[in-house]
Amino acid sequence: MRRPQLIRKIAVYAVYILLITTFQVTFPGVVSIYGLYPDLMFVMVVLCAYMFGFYDGIVVGALVGLIRDYFSAPSIRSLDGSVISSVGIGLFVMIAVAALGSSFFTKRIERNFLLAFVSVVVITLLYKFVGHFVIYIWTSVLSDVTYNMDMSQALIRSILPQTALNLFASVPLYLMLKFMGPYKGGVNPVLIDEKGKGDNSWLIM
Amino acid sequence: MKRLLTNKWFITAVSLLIILAVIILGSFPGSPLNNILKPVGGIVNPVQNVVKSTGNSLSDFWVALTDGMAIRKQNEELRAEIAELQYQLNMREEAAIRYEELQEAFHIRETLSNYDVFGATILSRESDEWFAVIRAGVGYSDGITLEPGQSLAVVDVRMNIIGRVIEVNEYDSNILPLLHEGFSISGKVNAVNGATFIIRGDASLKRDGLCLVTGINPDVVPSPGDEIVTSGDGGLFPQGIPIGVIETVDTSNELNITATLRPYSDIGDLNDIFILVPMDEMTDEFTEPGDPNETAAADT
Repeated sequence: MRRPQLIRKIAVYAVYILLITTFQVTFPGVVSIYGLYPDLMFVMVVLCAYMFGFYDGIVVGALVGLIRDYFSAPSIRSLDGSVISSVGIGLFVMIAVAALGSSFFTKRIERNFLLAFVSVVVITLLYKFVGHFVIYIWTSVLSDVTYNMDMSQALIRSILPQTALNLFASVPLYLMLKFMGPYKGGVNPVLIDEKGKGDNSWLIM
Repeated sequence: MKRLLTNKWFITAVSLLIILAVIILGSFPGSPLNNILKPVGGIVNPVQNVVKSTGNSLSDFWVALTDGMAIRKQNEELRAEIAELQYQLNMREEAAIRYEELQEAFHIRETLSNYDVFGATILSRESDEWFAVIRAGVGYSDGITLEPGQSLAVVDVRMNIIGRVIEVNEYDSNILPLLHEGFSISGKVNAVNGATFIIRGDASLKRDGLCLVTGINPDVVPSPGDEIVTSGDGGLFPQGIPIGVIETVDTSNELNITATLRPYSDIGDLNDIFILVPMDEMTDEFTEPGDPNETAAADT
């Protein structure tokens, strides 16, 4: 990749990451269902990873995860019962999400816009199911806390609305990534070159 | 071996394991890992300020366009109201002076007169139903301190409780909202010898803006419409701060009577909040040996 293209890519990613993360935590209630908001950071990481490959996805995911942890870290109940704000869960989630997004049927089917939306839906569903399961297990370990949300409630009041909101948010974000950068024509040239080069090709920049 | 070390899944797995170790180590009280996100603030805070002020300006512009006429009318009404209030204020200033004289004479201490009140703006809100800690723009550089085992009440402009401070950083504080499932507080019906119980956030009720009330004595069941205030048990929060009203009561299981409570205020709708910090002599009082167990049981 030539130097001007690289600088453009970094600049565009920096603007996207800073604007989207700060917008989400500053004005979260612009669109809301059942008190849930579209998770713009999550959708952007999935789409970047799916559209532009593993390397872009992981870097964007790590940066978005760090900012997410800084702005709104999840509070967890420690084993002694005190509630603390955690460090690193956002980073963990976003890197895992990016890894999943970058490999969402990309070996068997050409990357295309329809599968980009499907990847957002599937990975959101996975994230929410795993999240509820982990919280259920963790609260079961703690003696004085109960997780008063059964599977049907979790599905109707959390998982499905969040998936719908993320799908809704993925349309403008997809168009933005496709037509406004970071790559001309919305295609990462590295991904074209990497076809048939095996597992190490993601390291080529 | 080289192939393994350059395998993207291997590197991802190792990275995730390292982050998992950081999460676990960072959960210990006083862990230095809690400071690793400080540099992030230097980059994202100025951007957030720009986004926030731009958003507010756009919002203000839109409001100015749509509500101009209504505001003008309201302004006239408010001016008349201000004149009326000014008259009442003059009358009450006189009464306040007399009250202070009496307070001094009878050694009366108001509950909140033992607390310093710190005003703050909300900097960032939740980004997800689980990433739910809210940041407020006041920290230990402003004079707020948070001792281990201590908690600070967060109230709105009408002194309704809206959350508590769980972490204080140099320039900001992390707040756990009242509706969060990790929040619990001891409350009572706002009456003489009112029944006490525990009010806690609940995963399934928070979507409706409600809290769960547990620990209800079957002999003193609250009724829908009862006002609930903090009981002061455990000493973490001052007594008598309004929390909300009882919405429904479930007596189907006499051994576990529960109720739902609608808080007066939701931190999600607010821009400005106030943190109640006990004055020094009260902090000593709250962190006496033996007290933390009782405290943990009541207000956590």
